Amino acid sequence: MQLAVNIVVLSAIYALIACGYVLIYRVSRVLNLAHGELMMLGAYLLLTTASLFGGNPWMAIGAALLLSLVVGGLVYVLLMRKMTGEMVLAAVLATVALGILLRGVMVLIWSAQQQYPGQALGFSNPALVLPGGARISLMAALLVGVTAVTYLGLFVFLRFGRWGVRMRAAGQNPLLAAQRGINLHAIYALAWGLSTFTGSIAGMLMALDSGLTNSMVIVGLKAFPAALVGGLDSLVGALIGAAIIGASEVLSIQYIDPLLSDVIPFLVLIVMLVLRPWGLFGTREELDRV
Amino acid sequence: MRSSMLLAAGLAAALSTPAVAQDAYVVGITAALTGPPASTYAPAIDALRIYIDRVNKAGGVNGKKINLVIQDDSAEPSKAAANAKKLLTQDNAVLMINASLSSTYAPVVAEARNAGVPLLFASSVCPKDVYPPAKEGQFCTTAFAATYDSRAALAFIKETAKEPVKIGFSAMAIPLSRGEIDFAESQAGPLGMTAVDKEIIPPPTADYTPFATKIKDAGANWVFSWAPWVTQVRTFEALRRLGWAGDYVTWAHLEAEGELKRIKDNKLFVVGANALFEDDLPVQREIAAAVKEAGGKYPAEQMTEGWIAGMVIEAAIKGAGKDANAAKIQASMQNLKVDLKGLRGGPIEWTKDNHFRTRQFYRVYRWDGSKIALVKDWFAFDVK
Repeated sequence: MQLAVNIVVLSAIYALIACGYVLIYRVSRVLNLAHGELMMLGAYLLLTTASLFGGNPWMAIGAALLLSLVVGGLVYVLLMRKMTGEMVLAAVLATVALGILLRGVMVLIWSAQQQYPGQALGFSNPALVLPGGARISLMAALLVGVTAVTYLGLFVFLRFGRWGVRMRAAGQNPLLAAQRGINLHAIYALAWGLSTFTGSIAGMLMALDSGLTNSMVIVGLKAFPAALVGGLDSLVGALIGAAIIGASEVLSIQYIDPLLSDVIPFLVLIVMLVLRPWGLFGTREELDRV
Repeated sequence: MRSSMLLAAGLAAALSTPAVAQDAYVVGITAALTGPPASTYAPAIDALRIYIDRVNKAGGVNGKKINLVIQDDSAEPSKAAANAKKLLTQDNAVLMINASLSSTYAPVVAEARNAGVPLLFASSVCPKDVYPPAKEGQFCTTAFAATYDSRAALAFIKETAKEPVKIGFSAMAIPLSRGEIDFAESQAGPLGMTAVDKEIIPPPTADYTPFATKIKDAGANWVFSWAPWVTQVRTFEALRRLGWAGDYVTWAHLEAEGELKRIKDNKLFVVGANALFEDDLPVQREIAAAVKEAGGKYPAEQMTEGWIAGMVIEAAIKGAGKDANAAKIQASMQNLKVDLKGLRGGPIEWTKDNHFRTRQFYRVYRWDGSKIALVKDWFAFDVK
């Protein structure tokens, strides 16, 4: 039972991070390699708002989430918009540079030491005992729930929301979408904002669960195979990909060798790239565009 | 936030200050100020900077100031190599400091050796070359010491355990941590303990629970972890969340004091070579005041490692005389004894053959319900 819980928690972490990769790629065809840094920035923003609104943790969380949404939008407006019309590779390299910049800035502002936003907010993180005797921390349980709600929310938004439909349209055929009066820059900014928002939720919940260090950025990178395995333009794929990566990682820790857990996501990725380069739920056409 | 930004700008300016003072002793530092392991090294360098600033304000050493030139290597060997070359050839450093991961050692050692400049490892793990018989030109002030730390921890467990010890081990998947835990595992049997599990945990791990689950399921009643703090503490907290009620022994890194207060668990023991600030020694009050005055970025209790490095650098340059150059400083370091005023159980004492210390002292602390308490006072191993 504990094994199943461990798989669900790790898969939920990867899924929540991976949907940010998918959102941006699906809409703008850009691989955001600064997603891990933006996720970590969200967690550090929570640390700052926690000290500003120490007496009101919910306001602190709300402010941090709002800030992360704004930061994501600003990344598009101030940086990625300039990449419009350039080669996709240039945009990807811009995200790499952004990531390096963010990493340095975060150390300068918040220092390199381990931090605990949960402590600053006055939250405790007790273990919950589940049927069957398995245990899960409160924040990990919250993360699983938030991941489910996030995916459900994104599904409803993209399927039925006016802006969601516009995002899909812009992703499928930007020229036609623009001719139909859709403001592509607003759509792209929204995609960046939402991606940073969901990534930040993941960063905040991980920081609330076990603390915050600048190594969190690498966790963001480890979620990348989940998005690729599932198919970079599919949210369902990200969910399934995260489950595959999470399960293979936990099972390798339990039954083979803990050291394998570091490489198993990339082994799975290589196998997928060989057998089906566009991922489980991705579309072949999208890959051709890359 | 505004003050943080100003501090950041100030630090950036300080780090980029070129070594222009011709009448100063230039000490070059390559350190992991950014990157995943920065939490271990950045506080030490901050402390060293504060210490040397105080020395300079008081008139310097031998009438000359010490000019620290600090370069960030992000724990990357290629950057460390470039830093070392620049510090030795452009800044003309008379002493090199390495405060970074062991993977950066080889290029820095090579550059320092070629330039004939002594190299001090401060807050980074001591390489084999500083132990007897020490190689020329390499020295170390860092508290933790491979093999000795495991011997100390296991001796403590053997002495403390009231029932047969079934011990689990936890390491980070980096060569140093793995090597130490492998050594500890090999020592458990001869000490009458049963090694039941060993988890080598990759550094970027999103959830430590799967590793903790294995340790718990193996039936460990004691766990020993020797790794960067993040691995040590997250494994422990994951074990507790799983309902594990055993005793956990781990290395007292810079973060240990603050973390003992945060976690408040009386079965979490930290074994270390530095006195914690709970002792409230005069020198610790002096450090706390200096950090406050300098507006240090890190808590005073994380300053010990860098402060000790500062004391040693000051003593080494002083011993080399007014015309100290690299060769004279190296000669001074080969015959050095620095009283650490209680920050450790004994002095830093270097000879021609021993560039580590002649005796390695340990203490054990834990949270006793209301404060940090000393569990076992200084005990030592001869370094041969």
